[in-house]
Amino acid sequence: MDDSSKQQPATEKVIKVMVDNIFRKNGVQPEELKKNISDEQRQMLKEMVQDLRQQVDQFNKAQKKVTDSEE
Amino acid sequence: MTVYRSANSTKERANYLYFNDDCNANKNDCLGSQNQEDNYNLLSNNDATIAQGDGEYSFLEQESAELIWVKESCNITVTSNDTQASVSLQAALQLAIAIVISITIADSDRSDHVSQELLQYTNTEQINRQKIYIYNTKDATVTTTDTDIAVNIQLLLQVLLTLVLLLDIL
Repeated sequence: MDDSSKQQPATEKVIKVMVDNIFRKNGVQPEELKKNISDEQRQMLKEMVQDLRQQVDQFNKAQKKVTDSEE
Repeated sequence: MTVYRSANSTKERANYLYFNDDCNANKNDCLGSQNQEDNYNLLSNNDATIAQGDGEYSFLEQESAELIWVKESCNITVTSNDTQASVSLQAALQLAIAIVISITIADSDRSDHVSQELLQYTNTEQINRQKIYIYNTKDATVTTTDTDIAVNIQLLLQVLLTLVLLLDIL
């Protein structure tokens, strides 16, 4: 896991419970979902998530810079 | 000099910039654009990823407005971070969550419902309004930050990461 999720273990758990609950309520099995993704789609999604993660990291850094310079 | 800037995620992004020395006239201008924005929020929702017939829409309502007056002053530095970038990052994350769900859940009725619920929980309504008035001042530096949006982006990323971990994509 990356650093940002290490800082917020509580949030991570809350979200896990939330996602799990929503899946359960709608009768969705994660195991069944895995079969629906082709390798190509898996790769595409992986790249998309990594890209977004990078963007969020950059955004957080920029925010931090502003906050630091304020102090 | 007066600067008014506004960003909103639920409609076409528009910048309002006013440069006017007459404070009263400017106040009216700003109020006018504010009201317009409220109407847009309710009537049109260009960024919605899922729309359902039962009137439940999952979208993020967010508004940031800054009003900075600098009057009879010199050597003033104003730094305010651009909220546009963060708003679009937020929209991208929401879209990504919806994409992951719609790919993995073949049944479109069910996938709509799941992503709608996921985004509903992370749906926050927040309005940030800052007004800064600088009068009769020399050599001042002003920095403004919007922290609310940073929290929300972190939350959406967590939801996305949890999903992809659950589906063994990462």
